[in-house]
Parts: sequence; C-alpha cells; structure tokens
Amino acid sequence: MKRTFTYMERDLRRWIRGRINVITSLVMPAAWLIFVGLALPIRFTDNYLDFITPGILVLTMLGASLQGGALLMFDKILGFLQKFLAMPAPRESILFGKILAITLRGLIQTTVILVIALILGAHLLNPVFLLQTYLILFIFGVLLSSIMTTVALSLEDHDSYAAFNSMIAMPLFFTSSALMPYDQMPGWLAFLAHLNPVSYAIDAIRALQEGIFPATTIAGLLIGAVVVLSVCIITFRRATV
Amino acid sequence: MAIIETSELTKKFNDLVAVDEMTLSIDREIFGLLGPNGSGKTTTVKMLTTLLTPTSGEATVCGHSVTAQPSKVRDRISYVPQDMAVDMKLTGRENVIFFANLYGIPRPRETADEALAQMDLASRADDMVKTYSGGMRRRLELAQALVHDPEVLFLDEPTIGLDVAGRRKIWEHIISLKNGGMTVFVTTHYMDEADHACGRVGIIDKGKIVALDTPAALKSLHCHEIIAIRGEGEYKGTVVPDVTFIGKTGDELRFQAISGEDSGIPLLQALNESGMKIHSFVIRQPTLDDVFLSLIGEQEETMAFDHHRFRTMLRRRA
Repeated sequence: MKRTFTYMERDLRRWIRGRINVITSLVMPAAWLIFVGLALPIRFTDNYLDFITPGILVLTMLGASLQGGALLMFDKILGFLQKFLAMPAPRESILFGKILAITLRGLIQTTVILVIALILGAHLLNPVFLLQTYLILFIFGVLLSSIMTTVALSLEDHDSYAAFNSMIAMPLFFTSSALMPYDQMPGWLAFLAHLNPVSYAIDAIRALQEGIFPATTIAGLLIGAVVVLSVCIITFRRATV
Repeated sequence: MAIIETSELTKKFNDLVAVDEMTLSIDREIFGLLGPNGSGKTTTVKMLTTLLTPTSGEATVCGHSVTAQPSKVRDRISYVPQDMAVDMKLTGRENVIFFANLYGIPRPRETADEALAQMDLASRADDMVKTYSGGMRRRLELAQALVHDPEVLFLDEPTIGLDVAGRRKIWEHIISLKNGGMTVFVTTHYMDEADHACGRVGIIDKGKIVALDTPAALKSLHCHEIIAIRGEGEYKGTVVPDVTFIGKTGDELRFQAISGEDSGIPLLQALNESGMKIHSFVIRQPTLDDVFLSLIGEQEETMAFDHHRFRTMLRRRA
C-alpha cells in the first residue's frame, strides 16, 4: 500500500512540474462550460449551466483518464518499468499507483472546473452534495483509467495509443447524457446514451442535484470499476512476466 | 555456493535460441559479458534479474532461484538497464529518495544523500535532472541502484553513449563497489574497458559462451603477437611457418605469430612475392579486441546482419 503511494507521488510530482500541462488540460472543459453552458439557447430548462455542469465535471475526468493511460506506456517505452519490475516492491503497486495518480489528477482538475462553474453562477455549494459528487467521480476515474491503462498495455507504441484516444474521446462524450436529457434526444441517441458508462456518472451527479442518492447507479459504476481493474491486473501480469 | 550460479540456462523465443545452455559461476568480482549485438547478453541479464522466465535450466542469485523465489532475488539485486531512465522533471535527490522509498529504506533522505555523495553528485543534488550531463545521469542511476545496498549489481552497457571522461568515472565507481565486496555483472561492447576493469570476462556468441577467463589469460591463450599489415592488392591466402591469418578489416590484414619479430620479415616477403604492395607494418601485443574477433569473427564480412532475427529478439524481450 505504501509503495502504491510512492509511485503515485512520483507521477503527481512530475505532473505538477510540467506546469503547462496542468493548465492546458483545463482549457477544453472550461470552454465547454463558458461557451456552451452560458451561450446555448436552450428551451428545456431555465438554468442550462446547472444542467451541463455535471456533464463537464465528468468530461474533465474523462479527459484526465484518457491522457493518463499514456503514463504507463511511457514508463514502458523509456525503460522505467524494467527498473521497477526488478525491485522487491509488489509489482501490482506500480499499476495501482498509476490508476490512483490518474484519478487524483482528474479530481484536482474537476475541482478547478467546479470553482469556475460556481463563479459562473451554478448552484452547487452544498457540502454533502460535493462529497458524494467526488465519490462518484473517483469511482468513474478508477473505471476509466483502468480501461485506458489496459489499452496502453495492449498496444505497441504511443502513436497507436494516441489514435485510439482521439477515436473514442468525442464519441463517448457526445453519446452521453452530458448535453441534453434523454427525453430531448432522438431515439437512437437515447439508446446509445443509456449504454454509455459516461452517462451513468453524469446521471448519478444529476440525481444528487435533485436530492436523490443514486445507490444503484453508484453500485453499477463500482462493479464496472472492479471488473475492469481485474482485467487490467491480469493484462499487466501477462505483459510483465 | 557462488553469488550467481547458472546451469544450462536457456531462453527460446519461438524457434530462436537467444541463450543456449549457459553455465556460469560468478562470485564477488566484476564479471563482463561481451558479445556482438543480438548475441543474448541482455536476455541473460533479464533472466538473472527475474524479468524474463527461462525456457529451461536453472539460475540462482544469492542462493535463491530466479524462478522459484523471484522476490527474494529482487531483494538482493539492483538492475540498471541500458536505456537511461531517470525523471527529468525531478531533482537528483528526489529521484534517489523515490527509489529509497520503493525499497522501504528506514531513513530514505539520509540514505539517499549518502548514495548521492558516493557518486559525487552531492553538490548537484537539488538541480533538476534535465540539467545533468549523460555521465551524471548514469551516476544518478547508480546512486538509485545502491540505495538499498544490494549484494549484486547488474549493469547493461553502463558506459554506452558517454564521453571518455564519463566512462572512466563510471568504471572507477564500479571498481570501488567491487572492492567493497559487491558482485558486479556487466555487459559491454567496449573491449578495452572490459580488459581494464573486469576480473573475468565471458564472450558470448549466438547465445553460447565461447570463452570464459581473465582478460590476460584469454589474450595469451587465443592470440600470440599480432602483425597488422596495410597494403594494396588481393590477399591470396599466403602464409609462412608459425604465422596464421586471423582476419581482415578494411585494408588491414591481421596475422598472429608466436614471435612477431622472427616471422615479420618472411611474411612481408611472401606477401610481396604474391603481388601485394605493402604500405605499413606493425607488431603489437594482442588486445581483447583481437581475442573477440578471432573467436566471433567479423560478422559483416562473413554474413549479412540478420535484421529479422535481431528484430524478433528485440520485440520478444521488450
């Protein structure tokens, strides 16, 4: 457990030292919040900003996870992984440290987006709501960073990882319930949105906004995260023996 | 039992035999594994550091089997791979403390400082690694490797890509580690460095150990004096008594003789008579290069570099 935190600390330190990356990855979700959240003429709700904010928080987490898979890939390409594997620390702690670092990084980014949303006038300032939102984002982060780390372990080089990344990023976002409620979607889109794990996280946060604790959705995300994490551990063991 | 023991250690990648029934015994010395590219050096190191599972055979490090007790082996060793992997955006000290924490050292900061001082990096410990030279980065890797006081140190091409001063410094450190009682297993391309620093060297070709001894013994056993001749015209296989042809590099012909002084003049005359025009002529003591070339041969001359074989090997062991 301690080793997991050591690996995590390394990745967070490197990320914060990268300065420019810390800012650039926030530009896109902030732009969505401002240019779409405030400007889009929407009829189904009076406060579109309140509606879209959960979607943008999850989008921020999604972006962090998609970027994060590359961390393990670079460790592999640059030779760090070989050194780590020859050390007595449990090998799985390399993997857990990565997933934790990616998720924590995402939580830090969503916090900034949350503050921007509050400044723009979103109504979210309720400690219980915020705590539960972070819980949902954490589980979602573990789920997605495990998926992306598994993908990174299965691919040969960074180019194919980047290609995979840009292939799924926008479709995942647009086929989720981030931008509109299900009853406003065309039937085919609503069908896709119900299948999309991104929608689960967004719907859960929206339920919290209405004062409902979405126990089944959270349980679903949690089960998904455990399953994907197990697949990730198996892939990692296969890749490193 | 020696610190590192291997018995018929073998690694196959499909039908490619990367390491072929290697039997070695290494104990508190600097052992150099020399061989051409793709000969199985890195694969051997990876098996000994528990990063690859052998196909057959057995290896023990500090009395623990690399297959049955890999985590006990990892407790006792450090491995510095060929590609220099240090975190550029962290300081030297942070890099070493990170390793100390991974090894679970009780006083990580103090131990890291000791290791940095040992590698002459104390004055630069708080600088970002991206400002370090190649030699300093390699020394930082050694500091990381030494932080848990390993019994065995595995170094894969430790001086590759470094300038002369940097290489010399790395070897000074390696030698002083051995003098402190550490076993050092090193692979290298640089024969002169192996000659200077290694207690014993093993020469590996196509996965097999073809020679194993002290550098001095190898030189006296495999080569006598070397007569190197530069000239024009085709070499037609002419030899004189007590002289053997050992190889050709560019326009340089190399012969070995028990006494270069006695055989030199007859050899020159014989070559002149065969129609060659001689430009220069040198008699020298054999180097490890000569031993290496006489055992392995000049691969480019005898056969084309096998890209397919090389790439299969690189891909498999990644």
